[in-house]
Amino acid sequence: MNNLATDGKILFGREESSAEETELFRYLQEAFAAGRLKPGLSVELPAKSQVNNVAGMKQKLKEFQNNLEWIERLDLTNAPAPAAPGMELEGEDDVHNDFTRELRFYRQAQASVLEGIPRLQALDIQTKRPEDYFAEMAKSDDHMKRVREKLLEKQMSIDRREKVRKQRDLRKYGKKVQQEVLLKRQKEKKEMLESVKRYRKGQQDKIDFLNDLDDKSEKPRNKQQRDNKKNRINKKREFKNKKFGFGGQKKRSKMNTASSAGDMSDFNPRLHQKKAGKPKAKMANKRPGKSKRMKNKNKKR
Amino acid sequence: KWTNRNRVLVFSSRGISYRGRHLMNDLRKLMPHSKSESKMDRKDQLFVINEICEMKNCSKCVYFEAKKKEDLYMWMSNCPRGPSVKFLVENVHTMSELKMTGNCLRGSRPLLSFDQDFDKEPHWKLLKELIIQIFGTPNHHPKSQPFVDHVYTFSITDNRVWFRNYQILEEDGSLAEIGPRFVLNPIKMFDGSFGGTTLYQNPKYVSPNEIRRMYRSRGAQKYVHRLNAKKSYEIRRGTGDNTYKSDPTDEVFVTIRPEDAEGRDKNTFFRNT
Repeated sequence: MNNLATDGKILFGREESSAEETELFRYLQEAFAAGRLKPGLSVELPAKSQVNNVAGMKQKLKEFQNNLEWIERLDLTNAPAPAAPGMELEGEDDVHNDFTRELRFYRQAQASVLEGIPRLQALDIQTKRPEDYFAEMAKSDDHMKRVREKLLEKQMSIDRREKVRKQRDLRKYGKKVQQEVLLKRQKEKKEMLESVKRYRKGQQDKIDFLNDLDDKSEKPRNKQQRDNKKNRINKKREFKNKKFGFGGQKKRSKMNTASSAGDMSDFNPRLHQKKAGKPKAKMANKRPGKSKRMKNKNKKR
Repeated sequence: KWTNRNRVLVFSSRGISYRGRHLMNDLRKLMPHSKSESKMDRKDQLFVINEICEMKNCSKCVYFEAKKKEDLYMWMSNCPRGPSVKFLVENVHTMSELKMTGNCLRGSRPLLSFDQDFDKEPHWKLLKELIIQIFGTPNHHPKSQPFVDHVYTFSITDNRVWFRNYQILEEDGSLAEIGPRFVLNPIKMFDGSFGGTTLYQNPKYVSPNEIRRMYRSRGAQKYVHRLNAKKSYEIRRGTGDNTYKSDPTDEVFVTIRPEDAEGRDKNTFFRNT
């Protein structure tokens, strides 16, 4: 069962003899008890021939090794460099955790760089390209421009999202503040009315509360302020209301109904119930009639 | 001054995909000591490659073999008689991906950085030597640049070799990835170049064909599993002797107290108001 041990996977449903099957199941039970069985499909792989010719490999290595100096080979073997204090994620040596894996490779490269650069500088090899050294690069300038644009785009989208989030928070805060102000105003109004009522009823002697009035700078006083967007009358809406509101047009409706006959709004009793009184001062200034004028005409001379 | 006359022949077989082709071109760009060759027909035997190498005066060879237009295999070999290794190439990312932000001089010499696991097993040691000789740019090569501004990392994880190429931005060790990136899964190591006795065979290697077959046969397992489950249920259920014989007429006059009623039976005693 060597192949099973190395792979930890077992196949079901194969045509096996009963003896093999019981042995298989016993092995399975043991593996399960030991916690070696992983969830998922288990497959028995065919027995593979293992070749590990250690002696042959060692000999071959000796044969084809070219023992050149380090400067020709430039190879280094390192453990990963110690990570930054906040990034310690040891113990998560899983291949599938992309972030930790790449970080490990990065740190290995860093360790090599930290070791290699002093060694190179000791051998008088430069590692920094001088500013005026122009040579062909592995990637063209065009390509690098595209890379930069992509990075910029990403940065800008992040910034935009941040801005939108901030605006949204600000609006929420502003709304809350507005509500508080409205409530405060209502409360003050109520208190004022209460104080006036109490004073009128004689429960409160002092009239000091009038001194505490807020200055009327809050209310829009002049017509210009009143006709702001908030207070402007929508003429169109008014017209529509008159035409269609409260049951619609009255123009062509019935004229001689019970309600119209019983409608007394055009009747003013005061016009006919009044008793004759003193002629008012206006009456006194009125122009006299023709006969009176004729009589007085000759009298004036 | 240019003493290390190592030359690497980099080419592929026919039927290679665009990703494999770009990877090959990236390697050619990064290695100034490389020579290219037109595509080889896979019908020819592999030892023909040795002759091609001799004609081009190359001592090393990197050969990309593409099968089924999906799988990419890579051979690394020391041409006249040295060892050769066959890998399965996985997770290929080329240099022209926009997430690889670094850049380096074309033909500059790289630092080669190896994981400590490379010194632990003999097959890794052999592989390390081969990699150094292939990927290391010779000193004072006419097409090389005098500065060392990038580093190759070879690490061993999950029994595979992971390759990364970083640009050295600052002397204190800040790096940017240039690319390409690939993962090599070793299959076999041979004594001779593209042939010979097998020195090492990777026991954990599963060929991509087998993986695809396993995935496809998962559906077939459903039926077999169901049959097995039925069988085991029959076994567990027991035969006539060891089960308790229940008489259906026993339950006809069973009455329970109202306090003991549970769930729907409560409705027989209490009204839902």
